[in-house]
Amino acid sequence: MLRYRETGELHKDFHGSMNAAVEFVGERYGREGLREVFRNTAQKVYRSIYEKLKAGDWSELLEHWRYFMEREGADFSIAVTDTEAVMTVRRCPAVAHLRKLGMVPSAYFCDQTVLLNEAWCEDTPFEAVTEITGEGCCVQRIIRKHSTFKDVKHDSE
Amino acid sequence: MIPSDQFVRFYNEVFKFLDAKGDGALEDYYRVVSEQQEMHCLALFKTDGLAGMKAYWDRIAIEENCDMTCTLYEDRLEIVMRRCPSLSKAMDNDAGAFERYCDHCPGWVNPLLAKAGYRCDYDIIDRALPQCRMTIFPAAN
Repeated sequence: MLRYRETGELHKDFHGSMNAAVEFVGERYGREGLREVFRNTAQKVYRSIYEKLKAGDWSELLEHWRYFMEREGADFSIAVTDTEAVMTVRRCPAVAHLRKLGMVPSAYFCDQTVLLNEAWCEDTPFEAVTEITGEGCCVQRIIRKHSTFKDVKHDSE
Repeated sequence: MIPSDQFVRFYNEVFKFLDAKGDGALEDYYRVVSEQQEMHCLALFKTDGLAGMKAYWDRIAIEENCDMTCTLYEDRLEIVMRRCPSLSKAMDNDAGAFERYCDHCPGWVNPLLAKAGYRCDYDIIDRALPQCRMTIFPAAN
């Protein structure tokens, strides 16, 4: 069950606003500034996703990925095994919209994915690894850390 | 990717971060947002005036799922926002809304209107209610 599940029309120009926001914060405060904003976003705005991840449950994150990537018209696929969830993005709708507007993606643009995933996995039984494979393309991995997961299970027994 | 639907909740976190930094960082950011919005609005506002503004905000009303009325008069444009989706989302948010969330709107709109030769009277009404009124006039009036 998603905490936020918008319906209706989309205002994709917000991807342009995101580009300006990460450029402003990144240029003025560096990647550590961006890390702070994305940590607050991942752990406070998306609190229910983060709380579930801390409990070893990635279900809301996967539902969030599927719902919003479909809603935005991404070309993507998600593969889930016992040990990892992998989202492969072949056409990122955010980057595609920037190009439609004639904008150049900021050097920090993909940090909205990289730093958000990292912050979601902080102090959880998961690790995030995001590989940018080309413009508008990436592979996002949420990997279950077996040793930590066992520790969590052991502690709760 | 932060979904476009949820950008405003991220925006809200940017406002909190910049406000905590001080030294006018938040106001500097509003100016950058205003300059970025020029690509969508400035030529339209300069060329078509109040009618161009109505066309812009009518599109925004649809895309952002607003409940608002935008009425064009000979000497002004009146926008009555009955349900602002931006503040509504900032409030429907486990991180909580930035206390001066509404300030971003005049923060980017007013400089852009000034460049186009217009001014705006804002009535924010209540920062805890997603409602406001804007009336835009030619700057000379």
